[in-house]
Amino acid sequence: MNSEVVAEIEAQVRELRATGRVAVGFEDELDACFEQVAEASLASAGSPAVGDLGSSSPAGLSLTELGRRLSALARRRLGPSLRHLERRTALGAARAGESAWIQVHVAVDRLERVAAGSRVATRAISAVRPRDLAGSGTAAAHPAIAGLFLDWVLERLSEGSEPGRDLPRRVLHAECGDGRIVEMLSARGLDAYGADPRWSVRTRGDGKIVAAGALEYLSAAQSEMFDAVLLTSVVDRLRPGAARALAQLAARSLAPGGVVVLVSARPEAAVAMDPVAADLAPGRPLHPVTWCHLLAHSGLAELAVFEPDASDPDARESEVFAVSARRVSPSLTTAIGARL
Amino acid sequence: MRVRPVRIDQVIPSIVERDAVSHHALEAQRVLHSMGFVSEIYARNMGPGLHGRVHLLADLPRERPEHQWVCYQASIGSPAAEVFASHPGLKLLDYHNISPADLVERWLPHLGEEIRLGRKQLAELAPMVELAFADSEFNRVELEEAGYRETAVAPLMVDTTNFSSPPDKRLLDRLAEARARGGHDWLFVGQMLPHKAHQDVIKALACARELFDPEARLHLVGRESCPAYADALHRFVSALELSGAVDFAGSVSSGELSAYYASADVLVCCSDHEGFCAPLLEAMHHRLPVVAYGVTAVPETVLDAGIVLPAKSPVLVATAVQRVLTDAKLRDELVRAGLGRTQVFSIEAARRGFAESIERVLRAS
Repeated sequence: MNSEVVAEIEAQVRELRATGRVAVGFEDELDACFEQVAEASLASAGSPAVGDLGSSSPAGLSLTELGRRLSALARRRLGPSLRHLERRTALGAARAGESAWIQVHVAVDRLERVAAGSRVATRAISAVRPRDLAGSGTAAAHPAIAGLFLDWVLERLSEGSEPGRDLPRRVLHAECGDGRIVEMLSARGLDAYGADPRWSVRTRGDGKIVAAGALEYLSAAQSEMFDAVLLTSVVDRLRPGAARALAQLAARSLAPGGVVVLVSARPEAAVAMDPVAADLAPGRPLHPVTWCHLLAHSGLAELAVFEPDASDPDARESEVFAVSARRVSPSLTTAIGARL
Repeated sequence: MRVRPVRIDQVIPSIVERDAVSHHALEAQRVLHSMGFVSEIYARNMGPGLHGRVHLLADLPRERPEHQWVCYQASIGSPAAEVFASHPGLKLLDYHNISPADLVERWLPHLGEEIRLGRKQLAELAPMVELAFADSEFNRVELEEAGYRETAVAPLMVDTTNFSSPPDKRLLDRLAEARARGGHDWLFVGQMLPHKAHQDVIKALACARELFDPEARLHLVGRESCPAYADALHRFVSALELSGAVDFAGSVSSGELSAYYASADVLVCCSDHEGFCAPLLEAMHHRLPVVAYGVTAVPETVLDAGIVLPAKSPVLVATAVQRVLTDAKLRDELVRAGLGRTQVFSIEAARRGFAESIERVLRAS
């Protein structure tokens, strides 16, 4: 029955077209119209934060208008998983919850970049900045990473080194914030470098810290340049779709035997909504197993995940996890280069 | 015959109320209890309403293989798959399909990666799994293609509690007011995700208003789960000057959902990918004729209880809807066939199907 009816409907459609009741190009116009709005929506969702504020200078805005625009920016840029935090930040009521300190940091950092150059906006943001993050410049500088994670990271870095060589020579921390971890790594005898794009970061005279984003820096870096690449807050700040590129670029920059270590917030710690909705939330961090998948796809091996005991209420670091992977194959660079 | 285990536990990445796969897992637990097994659900993430009823994945017991079996509810890439893979117990897998990455990646890039991971995990689990069951034949074929040796179809245990909710009176009145001004009401129910292709229903509505029914309206019921995609749909409706004709209802209560079904004239589904599509059954229960694009599992869910189209050009969908709205005999036949389909997929039948799948593994040597 169904097939007969469908055949009749198709015949009617042919007649509609033949008699000109359906204007030539009408359906193509509908398709083109949707493509046009789709591009606009995607561009809006992924556009640079500063552009999202509109053409007028933030310095010329009233505090109310700035707050309104920041809230709108938060809605578009951070998605539902972080919206509640961002709203609190933008409205001046933010107090970092234990469960979301990395995300608050990310939100504040984005707002800072948006408001750069506006004294009024900077004052407004300073007033709402979570106290324990002030001056840190990066989630990586949090004691959780500086303590427990740094030890784990150093352990990974030292594994598989050449005999007689306790630690690798050259390490990159991207994105390094104020460079605190770079300093700590240097103090442990490493040739440590940092890169960070945030407005407050300036390229240091010795070139050890460079004002550049992780993707930008790694794209420009020579292949096989580092014995280790440490990725911390960058993985929570990635633009949509950039995770795969970051993994591949990090892999390419590793010398044979080198390791990449990344530290990220758990997606489930970053959200305050039901888990199914959270899985769909744009801008949320990736699961450790997803990072393993991406690093393995980039040609790295010896994957390891470090997840502190989440059941320990005192373990602040349980909100984050670390993943490491090693470049084993000497031919990796060619393979990755071909894929990029 | 295998040794009967004491317990069959389920592992699921995320579980939450008002979600089809989550409800299926909760029903599966009831079936397993009724068969005399100890059975608990272990999830990596859970909604607040399920605390106490579902356990954290980290607490999954690891008993002797002959003592404990584990069943994985697979629908996306997840660390939970690794916990399942490393468990010593005999393994079962219940597959609800994983949408292809290319349908969602443009809009949800991070989800694209996890979908790829999900497909990879599905293939990696194949040699470890004793029996994999799927909620549709379409899904079962995918399991075979992924390398599973023993497969079966065990229908989705659909949450029917919403089906009989009394319609929300206030909404019913509002919808009746609009109907009094003329024009038919189209309905689509599903989360606002790119693979559901809401834009194609909107295109068909635009076409129908041009050709047949200038006052036709469309109600889109479902959570706006992807902000960029939802934004594009809102912009699209504005660009087509259909703002007064398209109702973005969002997530609604069960009473409101009943009101939408009660007031609608037709359910139109242009999804590009469905592993089962429970709203089709819901529409049939509410005596609503269905016009659907016949891809993936949609044809086997609808069978002869709706107009299943081989393509979804706006004119074709609009013409099919017009036919259903104006051919009373056809409409009656579809409604009657739809009620028959709801019996095939009744919760009792689905529970039996799941229990038979478990018995099949027990019988195997």
